Amino acid sequence: MQSYRSVLLSTVLGVALMGVAASAQAQVNVGITISQTGPAAALGIPQKNSVAMLPKEVAGQKIEYIVLDDATDPTKAVANARKMIAENKIDYLIGSSGTPASMALVDIAGETKTPLCAMVPLKALVEPVDDKRRWVFKAPQDDALLADALAEHMVANGIKSVGFIGYTDGYGQGWLDEVQKIMPARGIKVVAVERFQRTDTSVTAQALKVVSANPDAVLIAASGTVAAMPQKTLKEQGYGKPIYQTGGVATMEFVRVGGKDVDGTVFPAGPVTVAELLPDSHPSKKISLDYIRDYEALNKQPFAAFGAHLVDCASMLFAGLKPALAKGKPGTPEFRAGLRDGIEASKEIVALHGVYNFTASDHAGLDKRGRVLVKIVNGKWTLLP
Amino acid sequence: MREFSSAPLLWLGLILAFACIPIVPCIPAFWITLWVYIGIYSLVAIGLVLLTGVGGMTSFGQAAFVGFGAYTSAVLTSRYGWSPWATLPAVVLTAGVSASLLGLVTVRLSGHFLPLGTIAWSISIFYLFGNVEELGRFDGISGLPAFDLFGVSLASADRVFYLVWFCVLLAIVVSSNLLDSRMGRAIRALRGGSQAAESFGVKTAYAKLTVFVYAALLAGVAGWLYAHVQRAVSPSPFGVHAGIEFLLMAVLGGSGYVLGGVLGATIVTILKDQLQSVLPKLIGSDGNFETIVFGILMVVILQVARQGLWPMFARFLPQPKPQQIHKSAMALPRRPMPDKGRLILSVEAARMQFGGLVAVNDVSFKVNAGEIVGLIGPNGAGKSTTFNLVTGVLRPTAGSIRFMDSQIVGKLPREVAALGMARTFQHVKLAAQMSVLENVALGAHLRGGRGTLSAMLRLDRSEEASLLREAARQLERVGLIEHMHKPAASLALGQQRIAEIARALCLDPCLLLLDEPAAGLRFAEKQQLAVLLAQLRAEGMTILLVEHDMDFVMKLTNHLVVLDFGTKIAEGAPDVVARNPAVLEAYLGGVE
Amino acid sequence: MNTTISLFLLQDGVINGAIYALLGVTLVLIFAVTRVIFVPQGELAAWGALTLAAFEAGHVPGTAPLLVLLGLCCVFSDMLRQRRGLNGKWFIERGLRDIAGPLALWALCIWLAPQKPALWLSVALTVSLIIPMGPMIYRLAFAPIADASVLTLFIAAIGVHFAFTGTGLLFFGAEGSRTTAFIAGVFPIGVLMVKGQSLVVLGLTIVSLIGLYIFFDKTLRGKALRATAVNRLGARLVGIPTQSTGRFAFALGAGLAALSGTMIGSLTTISYDSGFIISLKGFVAAIAAGLASYPLTVLAALGVGILESFSAFFASAFKEVIVFSLIIPMLVWRSLVVRHSDEEDE
Repeated sequence: MQSYRSVLLSTVLGVALMGVAASAQAQVNVGITISQTGPAAALGIPQKNSVAMLPKEVAGQKIEYIVLDDATDPTKAVANARKMIAENKIDYLIGSSGTPASMALVDIAGETKTPLCAMVPLKALVEPVDDKRRWVFKAPQDDALLADALAEHMVANGIKSVGFIGYTDGYGQGWLDEVQKIMPARGIKVVAVERFQRTDTSVTAQALKVVSANPDAVLIAASGTVAAMPQKTLKEQGYGKPIYQTGGVATMEFVRVGGKDVDGTVFPAGPVTVAELLPDSHPSKKISLDYIRDYEALNKQPFAAFGAHLVDCASMLFAGLKPALAKGKPGTPEFRAGLRDGIEASKEIVALHGVYNFTASDHAGLDKRGRVLVKIVNGKWTLLP
Repeated sequence: MREFSSAPLLWLGLILAFACIPIVPCIPAFWITLWVYIGIYSLVAIGLVLLTGVGGMTSFGQAAFVGFGAYTSAVLTSRYGWSPWATLPAVVLTAGVSASLLGLVTVRLSGHFLPLGTIAWSISIFYLFGNVEELGRFDGISGLPAFDLFGVSLASADRVFYLVWFCVLLAIVVSSNLLDSRMGRAIRALRGGSQAAESFGVKTAYAKLTVFVYAALLAGVAGWLYAHVQRAVSPSPFGVHAGIEFLLMAVLGGSGYVLGGVLGATIVTILKDQLQSVLPKLIGSDGNFETIVFGILMVVILQVARQGLWPMFARFLPQPKPQQIHKSAMALPRRPMPDKGRLILSVEAARMQFGGLVAVNDVSFKVNAGEIVGLIGPNGAGKSTTFNLVTGVLRPTAGSIRFMDSQIVGKLPREVAALGMARTFQHVKLAAQMSVLENVALGAHLRGGRGTLSAMLRLDRSEEASLLREAARQLERVGLIEHMHKPAASLALGQQRIAEIARALCLDPCLLLLDEPAAGLRFAEKQQLAVLLAQLRAEGMTILLVEHDMDFVMKLTNHLVVLDFGTKIAEGAPDVVARNPAVLEAYLGGVE
Repeated sequence: MNTTISLFLLQDGVINGAIYALLGVTLVLIFAVTRVIFVPQGELAAWGALTLAAFEAGHVPGTAPLLVLLGLCCVFSDMLRQRRGLNGKWFIERGLRDIAGPLALWALCIWLAPQKPALWLSVALTVSLIIPMGPMIYRLAFAPIADASVLTLFIAAIGVHFAFTGTGLLFFGAEGSRTTAFIAGVFPIGVLMVKGQSLVVLGLTIVSLIGLYIFFDKTLRGKALRATAVNRLGARLVGIPTQSTGRFAFALGAGLAALSGTMIGSLTTISYDSGFIISLKGFVAAIAAGLASYPLTVLAALGVGILESFSAFFASAFKEVIVFSLIIPMLVWRSLVVRHSDEEDE
């Protein structure tokens, strides 16, 4: 099948080279590699579901989206990216759902000079902005931005020491690194650091150790329903002090699974997570509400914040589209360079997870409008000021 | 390189055609990338073919060695600024040393313990990669340099393609060379269990370790290539799932064939890529059907082709030529034969106790050169145990066994073999898929000395020719020469027993031990066997045989030793022993 | 670390060990009878937990249509293999067993699920949905290659594992679930606070193990299974059909997997891919016991559980490194102790 299509493609290309058919305006091709299967599937699936909601045409320019699954495997992600760059001549690359896979894409972006939008929070993806990372933008909030919000809340509530329980993987690692940097700077001691597997059947031992260090609060860096397990175990061990979670629990599934044990939990999240609760003045509120309504209508299941990163990546593309079209036709290096410059130069890109302002030295682009603190009260999310 | 021997031009053509893939204009660029990955995986799969398919050791841990290679090169290039080329020796060293250490512990594991051992260390190494600060933990190391050849960057797939496939071609050649050699036969004989190989002087633990390290080196080199093609490393491509996938490639391709490894890697890689683009068109929605269909296809392929796909594929290729016997090859040196009538084996008061059970009770007997001595007795008399004492398989609790003036108590079977004792087995132990000739040549293992490296580099040809010539000579001696190129499993049982005798003769023994050579044979086959043994005796061979069949023994032997309940009850010329009342009692059991 | 903490860790290890033990024992059982190292055992356990969770949420679990699908596949593959001897009777027989049965179960689920059935009923439904999957998988994947080498069968099992993981994701989604405990609450025993569910796990494991013992020792069917395990050829010669014992072993395995799944669902979050690592640990225990002895498997499983719990306490980031590295010296010791002929696998 593939070779057939490729042969067709190369024939078409050949014809184009002969200068016969170059009249139709080329479409913009967007390549998306995400983890629909494997350990990051919980992130990849809502991202996949969001693709269908993206506009097929922006400002009169047709846009085509190509989606491939990388099964949370960096090798596959790189192969997917190379495939789409070679075969689909993509102008813009989005991916991936997991950290190692996204890291591996950075080199491809730099090598092929294709703008890349990453959907994981790791700062090292866009910092420092060097020859490769000029081409990389990042949608999610930095772990640092979110950790800082938590630290602020802890300081305000008189918390002097914190225990950490996190995944033994890139997600847990990213948070741990920030926690160990930011918390001490705010005068909060990190007194216990424990790790666990997403597939572990028990975290009793880790919880015991944290409880015996008796911190004023515990931060759990895990995602989805699994994040409820350490919290339940801590409660069973009789730990009654505040528990913080990360943005990874921003799904209603977490509340459903955690039940009353997760009441009182505080976690940072992007604005889209709590769209309904946002003040009307928040720039992300309206589009977020629209997105959630459409997502749930289309997919018949509750939305998850991870999917919104993909939509935000697309928003960046749309912001840079006009200057790029002025530079060249889609499918050309000029267009891609123009797109990169256009995104970097855009001001106030209003998106689901906040408002992006990129500069030549900052490709993360979010400010405090890109994060809110949420507290679970009686099984409902409430917004903390 | 026998694979390519029969039609070298065809193979050359195929290789050249393959080499053109990157320059043919209508081949889409991504296919070249795909072929680069296939090449990298092929290296690992070829190693697994040797380890699992040929050597019989199942490993789920090859991905860990790929990881060792990749991480070594990643650290050296990214942190210390080495060139990717300069890291290759370090990669080989890391993979080799780590494999030697792991291998020393794990290849000794028997049965199901080995695969579990490999799963265990591949999981623990995965988490080690993910927790070590210097290796970038779970995020790994990115931004690695690409290969660079005299200023030409090999960053693009169409260039690195040649480097990768050069490595694969080299691995194919070296691996097939290795298999087609003295050490190769030793490795191939491991699969049927190590006892037979060990009794012909093969250091089986060493042979296992050799193939284990070799497979790990191939995996390490694959990792080295991977690091600079992918330009980033992280733990996830080196976990246990990847290890399982490599094994899958080897088994699906055909784990007994070097080229099966390449075929397996090709099929698995292309299948996974194509399913992704084909399935959505077939099913309509692009859900996550790839894994499901992939899993089902695996099962179906195994049901259709149990030996993997290579045998089906190879039918369309020219068959490799059988081994050539060079009549001009130098004859192997022979050991001096003891003079007729000289005492060569003396067993004195040998005793074997298993806990409270006395299996052999102070048995003594002697064997003189040029005789056929029979060791007989009813079931459970202790014949096999005595046999195992003499061959060094068991160590006696007490007593002395002297062979050719050396004390052999405490010696290993292969050390006893080196003194000039060769044996056959009650249950035939031939490597089923190996040709009769090669099975027999294994017997001459101790009469050659070339090792793994000279086999890989083809420096062993004159010795190899001598070994094969000797094997052919012995097959001629026992009358199986016309069957020499058939796989051993295709012979009838009687012929297999004769082939075992030929293998034993290849050792150039002064004493031949036969363990129930007539068991399971038809009458005519027994007759032929008796003729052969008598002829060997006439040529000066000394034979000790354990037998059940009184008739067979009576006619053939010069001297009989009769055991019952672990004790010697009679000894002497056959006709004398046959009238001994104690013997009749033991055999006919209390007929009053 | 003090005695109380040690006791807590010990308790935690024993509970996890009990789950590994149940899976390990069924792995031994299936291996002994069919020589298949049935890796997807863990997926069946995960499906057990997820099915129960679906009933609790008032949904029809994905396993119900899946069973119908499997039944259809079975009839279809039998048709392909049989070709001759296909007649009306054959179709009615197979249709009733492989299609109508699963359809009836599905209908029952559709009727009962929205009413959020009582716990015992949900568990019964869950187990009866999963049990038939065992023999169906055996018929589809393993029976046609029943006499292949252990390695080939193992690779086929890996294939089934891949297919199961994909199917699990498709039917249950990527998010994990938890179920309510059979017995809620916490009981003080000495200094320990023991969860009711932990007692359930321990109790059910012991009951299952005793049940298995009685089954193997006292019943004809159990003896036939044991005979097949000891000597396949011999068993066939005395008229024990190895195919049907294989199916039976898989049914038993699936049943125990489903049961353990329903038990762990309330102790931890289970998602579609949780099963692999759990069954891997059961597998470790099974192999440490030489894939032969049931009591040794149980002991080894408890050992793995306790080792895991203690290493999680001392160095949680390196837990798997410690657990799996310590297995190697244990294996070396086992392989020295067990007189194991490495020639039997050929």
